[in-house]
Amino acid sequence: MVRNFLYILIFTCLSISLLTSCGEIDPDRTPADQRVGILGAGATFPAPLITAMADDYRDLTKRRVTVNYQSIGSGGGIRQFIEQTVMFGMSEAFLSDQVMEDIERQTGGKAFNIPVTLADVVPTYNLPGIRQNLVFSGELLVEIFMGRVTRWNDPKIAELNPDVRLPDTAITVVHRSDGSGTTNIWTSYLSRVSDEWRGRVGFATSVNWPTGIGGNGNEGVAGAVINTPGAIGYNSLSYAVLNNMSYGSVINQAGNIIKPSFEATTEAANIELPDDTRILFTNTPAEHGYPIAGFAWMLVYENLDHNNAISSRSEAKELIRFLVWCITEGQVLSHPLGFARIPDTALEKNLVMIRQLKWEGELIGEEVLDEVDFEKLPS
Amino acid sequence: MKSMRRREIHNKMMEGVLVVATVLVLLPLLIIVGHVLVEGVGALNSDFFTQELGSPSRALLDRPTGLVHTIIGTVVVDLLALAIAVPIGIGAGMMLSEYPEHLLNPTLRIMNDTLNGMPAILKGLFAFVLIVKPMGTFSGLAGAVALSFVMIPIIARATESALMAIPWTIREAGLALGIPRWRVVISTVMPAAKIGMVTGLLLAFARAAGEAAPLLFTSFGNNYLPDHWLGFIFNPVDTLPQRLYSLAISPYSEWHSMGWAAAIVLLAFVVLIFIIARVATRDRMKL
Repeated sequence: MVRNFLYILIFTCLSISLLTSCGEIDPDRTPADQRVGILGAGATFPAPLITAMADDYRDLTKRRVTVNYQSIGSGGGIRQFIEQTVMFGMSEAFLSDQVMEDIERQTGGKAFNIPVTLADVVPTYNLPGIRQNLVFSGELLVEIFMGRVTRWNDPKIAELNPDVRLPDTAITVVHRSDGSGTTNIWTSYLSRVSDEWRGRVGFATSVNWPTGIGGNGNEGVAGAVINTPGAIGYNSLSYAVLNNMSYGSVINQAGNIIKPSFEATTEAANIELPDDTRILFTNTPAEHGYPIAGFAWMLVYENLDHNNAISSRSEAKELIRFLVWCITEGQVLSHPLGFARIPDTALEKNLVMIRQLKWEGELIGEEVLDEVDFEKLPS
Repeated sequence: MKSMRRREIHNKMMEGVLVVATVLVLLPLLIIVGHVLVEGVGALNSDFFTQELGSPSRALLDRPTGLVHTIIGTVVVDLLALAIAVPIGIGAGMMLSEYPEHLLNPTLRIMNDTLNGMPAILKGLFAFVLIVKPMGTFSGLAGAVALSFVMIPIIARATESALMAIPWTIREAGLALGIPRWRVVISTVMPAAKIGMVTGLLLAFARAAGEAAPLLFTSFGNNYLPDHWLGFIFNPVDTLPQRLYSLAISPYSEWHSMGWAAAIVLLAFVVLIFIIARVATRDRMKL
């Protein structure tokens, strides 16, 4: 009995030490026959797209490269990116100047925000009997979400929708109760069209709403809207389409009525972009752009060797290969899954940033880009 | 006679109260188990046990998806946690019960109870700082360490009370034979206290197996099987409670039913462990 117990003890200690010693990964195994795991985490909204890209990329590389993406929210993605526990982060908000500076000081290189897809937020509503797309303006949405326009037959709504017989139904405003990138885009739009909204409510991943009821997550808002006649909320376009919800068109800065679509969302980003792509383009100046949209960024370090989560040069190269694939060939997955493609302007900026990615000073980003035959890519 | 009758009625009434109380205790359990079974049984198919999760589009487009990596990951992480917690927990319990005169014991007892009452998410945070940050990545090992923090205080307490229940005369008999003190504990006291200790292990294991919070930022989650079996220890690993949580908060009804199915598997896993441990100790007792 004693002996058994001691054996178990010794075996446990031995096996733990054995396992620990096996964990040393040889840093220079050749990538051709070595399987690679890439770990990323962050925003929930692009998760269906990124994980579907991961599925396809795994098939494409014959199970050699496995990308494990966990959706923990934009805030979590930025946090873990800074903690260097993930190889790439994913966020619907770009890194703040403060974070960019801190990272530059710590790693001697920049942090890159690389747009991989676009988030679009649409006003969703539940008006029994009305199937037409209602038209909203930024000012009208502010009035509704401020709680000042309270009935669907309000003259302000009727003015924009002269052909619709609007019912005398009370408006129930539904908003997100959790912190969310969707809320960030929505409130950023309201702030840009209304000084009053900017002063009183502002924009953030969660704000103090002047009125309305809260729903947890996209599904919480959708559930409340679907079950409450007269309700208005906001959801990502893909979610609204998937759940067969009515959603409205929005008048953009140029004065055009824009029906939400992948093309209109892509068009919204087709503007003069800064080199680091850190820009919020809600209320876009693009003439035919949908005004309530934003990028979802993949976050990577310029000096990949300074990210503790990446242990070898070959891992870093595989990460870049996946990244390049996502913004080029991988984009074909977007539309079937309800996501808009990134515009060419963003792709160009992305390639410039990727070209600068380094491993111990070597420009491995450039090496990867040299492998890619851009002529053969589907446009 | 009259007083006898009254006593019988009294007895019956109290019996009734006890039965009602027992039913009230069991009722929530039965409702939960019943509800989980009803909701989840539909999603239990062969794909569930053989395929990896992948992206939600698999579930939406009726392509094969499952939780094979989650089930294996749970077994690995939980057993690893047990392997870490058992020596430490039993050691601490032994010290508390067998060396009551030791100076450190009052402090140890207080700290053990504090650890037991600490929110599980803090234990996960500690494992994050202790293992994840230095290793540079989330890992099954970090998850196991976090879960072992859940197990250790329960095992220590259970071991202590199980050993204390053994009469001191047995120890004195051993000491009278000239056996050293540690040997007395291991050879005479522990076999006698085995049932109590195993019960403690089971409680600790069942408690830890259901914890999602310590795993969120330690074993983190994985949509696929690791490419090598060591990946279950050194790479991010999926575990049932954590996957159940993320399936439940996802916006897809297909994933919701997979979450219920995951709950069935987790329940079955805990029950299975209980049965195995019970059978094993019963057989040993006969020998």
